[in-house]
Amino acid sequence: MRGSFPFRAAKVSLRGGTPPARSPWRGGGWPAAGIGLLLLFPLSSPDAFLLDVFTTGFLLAAFAASWDVVGGVSGQITLGHALPFGVAAYACALLTTLAGWPLPLAVAAAVLLAAAAGLGIGALSAPLAGPFVALLTLALGEIAHEAAVGHTFFSGPGGYAWGGEGGIPVALPWRDAAPFPSYYAALAFLCLASFGMLRFSRSGAGLILRAVEGSPITALASGVPVARFKRMAFAVGSAFAGAAGAGFVVHVGRATATDLSLELSFQAATFAAVGGRGTIVGPVVAALVLHVLFRALSLPPSARVLLYALTLLVVLRFFPGGVAGTARDLASRRAGKEGGRPPRPGGRNRNGDEAP
Amino acid sequence: MTVNRGSPFRRHRPLFGTAALALSLFFSAFPPAPGAAAELPDTLTIGVLAPLSGPYAAGGTSFVQAATLAVEQANAEGGVFGRRVTIAVGDTQGRVDVAKSEALRLVSREKVSGLVGAYLSEETVGVMEVAAAHRKVLLVPVAATAEITDLVRREYARYRYVFRVGYSLPQWAEMIAAFLSDRKVRRYAFVGAGIRWNLELGETLERFAVPKGISPSYSAWYSPGNPAFDTVAVAAAASSPDIVILADPGRNSVSFLKRLRESAPALPVLSVGGALGDARLAASVPLSAPVYVQAAAWRGVSTAATAYVDRYERRYGATPVGYSDTLPYDAVTVLVAAWRKAGTVESDAVVPVLERGTFPGVAGEYRFDPDHQARWGTGPGALRGSIVRWEPGGARIVYPPR
Amino acid sequence: MASPLPQVLLDGLFAGGTYALMAAGMALILGVVKVINLSHGAFFTLGAYVAYALAGRGVGSPLAAAPLAAVIAFAFGVFLGKSFVNPVRSHPFALPVGTLACALLFEQAAQLVWGPHPLSIEAGAPWIGPGGLVVRRWGAVAFLSSAALLGCLKRVLSSRPGLPLRLIAEDEEIAGSLGMDVEAIRYLTFGAACAMAAAAGALLSPSGAVTPTMGRAPLLLSLVVVIVAGMESVAAIFLLSIGLGVFGNACAWLLSPQWSYVALLAAVCLLLAARPAGIVATAGRRD
Repeated sequence: MRGSFPFRAAKVSLRGGTPPARSPWRGGGWPAAGIGLLLLFPLSSPDAFLLDVFTTGFLLAAFAASWDVVGGVSGQITLGHALPFGVAAYACALLTTLAGWPLPLAVAAAVLLAAAAGLGIGALSAPLAGPFVALLTLALGEIAHEAAVGHTFFSGPGGYAWGGEGGIPVALPWRDAAPFPSYYAALAFLCLASFGMLRFSRSGAGLILRAVEGSPITALASGVPVARFKRMAFAVGSAFAGAAGAGFVVHVGRATATDLSLELSFQAATFAAVGGRGTIVGPVVAALVLHVLFRALSLPPSARVLLYALTLLVVLRFFPGGVAGTARDLASRRAGKEGGRPPRPGGRNRNGDEAP
Repeated sequence: MTVNRGSPFRRHRPLFGTAALALSLFFSAFPPAPGAAAELPDTLTIGVLAPLSGPYAAGGTSFVQAATLAVEQANAEGGVFGRRVTIAVGDTQGRVDVAKSEALRLVSREKVSGLVGAYLSEETVGVMEVAAAHRKVLLVPVAATAEITDLVRREYARYRYVFRVGYSLPQWAEMIAAFLSDRKVRRYAFVGAGIRWNLELGETLERFAVPKGISPSYSAWYSPGNPAFDTVAVAAAASSPDIVILADPGRNSVSFLKRLRESAPALPVLSVGGALGDARLAASVPLSAPVYVQAAAWRGVSTAATAYVDRYERRYGATPVGYSDTLPYDAVTVLVAAWRKAGTVESDAVVPVLERGTFPGVAGEYRFDPDHQARWGTGPGALRGSIVRWEPGGARIVYPPR
Repeated sequence: MASPLPQVLLDGLFAGGTYALMAAGMALILGVVKVINLSHGAFFTLGAYVAYALAGRGVGSPLAAAPLAAVIAFAFGVFLGKSFVNPVRSHPFALPVGTLACALLFEQAAQLVWGPHPLSIEAGAPWIGPGGLVVRRWGAVAFLSSAALLGCLKRVLSSRPGLPLRLIAEDEEIAGSLGMDVEAIRYLTFGAACAMAAAAGALLSPSGAVTPTMGRAPLLLSLVVVIVAGMESVAAIFLLSIGLGVFGNACAWLLSPQWSYVALLAAVCLLLAARPAGIVATAGRRD
């Protein structure tokens, strides 16, 4: 695969830092340590609140990683990633509550629907580039949000109106989810999903996507079906987003219009910017750290929002490539010095060329 | 690829570094274990859940302000069993996942003895789940959805701790219809944001109004995200109603009213409550035709109401709007009174007291029906609410007539 | 009582004027500084609060508040440009996210200073035109100011003073090698664009309620205009803004007010599907 493109192999490699044949866990001391700590954390007897914060944090981290598949690996900045998340959430809720499906079947259908939605979005945005993709996905996300807020069922099962901004409940087989099983289930989901997304990003398809992002014209000239790969990226990213959405709605118990909101879409992009676009692991860590810190520290609301915004500004000012992105660049520069090789390019300038 | 050189420790420096950093984060970043919180053993805590950031911060802020006032009043009366009452606030941000999470925090960390909240319907249903699971009494001041009382009715054993202090949608519609009939209205236009409870209120109002010979001449909804005020205002005025009923409690109601006044300066407007209850906002709108606002209570409707409004004004420098502040005030008052009557804060003992008793509040005497809904409406002994009319000097109560 | 449809279309014209005012500043930033500025809505809000503060002190006319709002916003904009936008410019993704964080910061600060409750300034009585057509005072102001602003912008850009801006928009390296202080021009342009947004906010403040998050909806629509119309043609920006305003109101009237926003967004999607590179045909870019 690597030798078959006529354009510079340097562009193709290896922003992830590893050749595709190696396991994604090479250089994975960090994630392993993190997972270990998270596995052991409940043993320190935290209260139910903290466990709940971590549980939602894991699900949002998976959502952030799924954004990175589309916006980072494939380079299509999407501002409507809440759409597959919310579609899966609503599908889960509607199928269990109105259609009476069992939960596992509803979750599976929800993920498939989210992937299909992603495929549709990908098909619409494949001919577009840059800010137009962002605009289109934003518009589609807002349409979905408006549809969810404005559509009310007047003859729900309870005899009163359903839907709209109030959302739709999920018919769960349990009454109140126990905090420890939820925590571990969400953690397991996050690990599996991240592993899957990392493998995708380092697979042949992932490399092609990165190459397409680098120079679509060259990829086209090489005979790569650019549109197909772009759609695939959207489908994969949306499938994982849908899985996160289904998990989220099962944990919370209700699908509401905020699951389709612009704020949620922006949040995914924010986590990716802070964590490091294209690294998959970066957005996961950023999402988890930011979410847990700003919920678990019970700050007064105005202080919380101010501090959050300031944190974002400071991190982006001094780590504009994201924390993981900057760390990776530092590591590759140091590896370059040790091995006597020229330092790896750290970023791109506006024309898409590598920085000198 | 480069070959990793150096000692194992040096090689895995990132690993150890991460572990050390993470451990220090865990042990320093999180608050101390519950119990070490600043909570004296002789204090009773009420958990208050309301949105203090996000799009509903205005309503949530009044909510918390009124709740604070209510516990201050309770303490001024000697507290409960000689113990001081305080509130612990959870910011729900207008989202159900945050509302549940904050409710969990209040229950498991702040060790609250009762809950008051939330603001939005979906938040409230989420909080109900937490209250039911942890058996805490929950008083709902403002969320109007039937889902709440329906859950109490269908699964009484689980949700019996939940009581709604504010009016339900049918009660709301009943009170509006009574006012319309009193004003001899024949045709009304109903407009609001295209959200579920506005739509439901419109439908319910029609059910109450039509038997009284009052019918809607026009009803329309605008999108809350990008409201088409112009079209709705123009069309509403063009349908020649006797009054326009504005169901939006938020800031869009002011924009809509301004737009309507430009097209139809002589058309009376009834706001179902919320932002237009704010005197400063009402002062900026032309009063060429009556602007009525519905409220749970207003200064002058009773001595308790006047005392409350005066205290609120002294404390916060603004008059309450009569909905998102008065109802939470009454919710806290009712909870405290129920504790005193039951002689304990144990939820299982407080529930029957709430079910059977009468509790005086700013809006009147609160009694709950079998679905744990406070009795509002036009029947005997029901809480009536107030409808005021804005005038250059302030607001005058026009309904119910004294 | 005027016939409803012309009234509604006139109002759409005025709504379009609002978008055009915001889009002007955004297009300037996108063209010269090459940045998508998501804090533009926050500067709009700043202008509205300045107008409210002045109204509280007896200066009721937003026309008087607009210059003051512009000056304050210019100062903030230059500060933001120097401290954040210029250093982070080379990372085209981090920058919009950063400006978004800045907007969040400002919204929260506004909430702390003025409270979360909606505030309101008295709008003057409207003028009644022929056939009973209601001409909203501040709607007309928005429309006329946007036309004036965009006209000025076009004049400036096509004359000598605008040359540095066009050169920077075209090719920064050449501009730098000609001895222009590109960095300074960038943050000054950023400041000027923010001043425009604040002036817009001040002029439009009487039309509705003033809240900390009031800038979000205009930001979104002006973003749509700027991306679809591109930055090449000022006329395209103006026409597209007006078009969106009129189209939105027409949809609300002919279809349903509840779904007019959805119709607007769907129209944008269709436009993008039909013309994937925006509505203005641009000359081929050098790769």
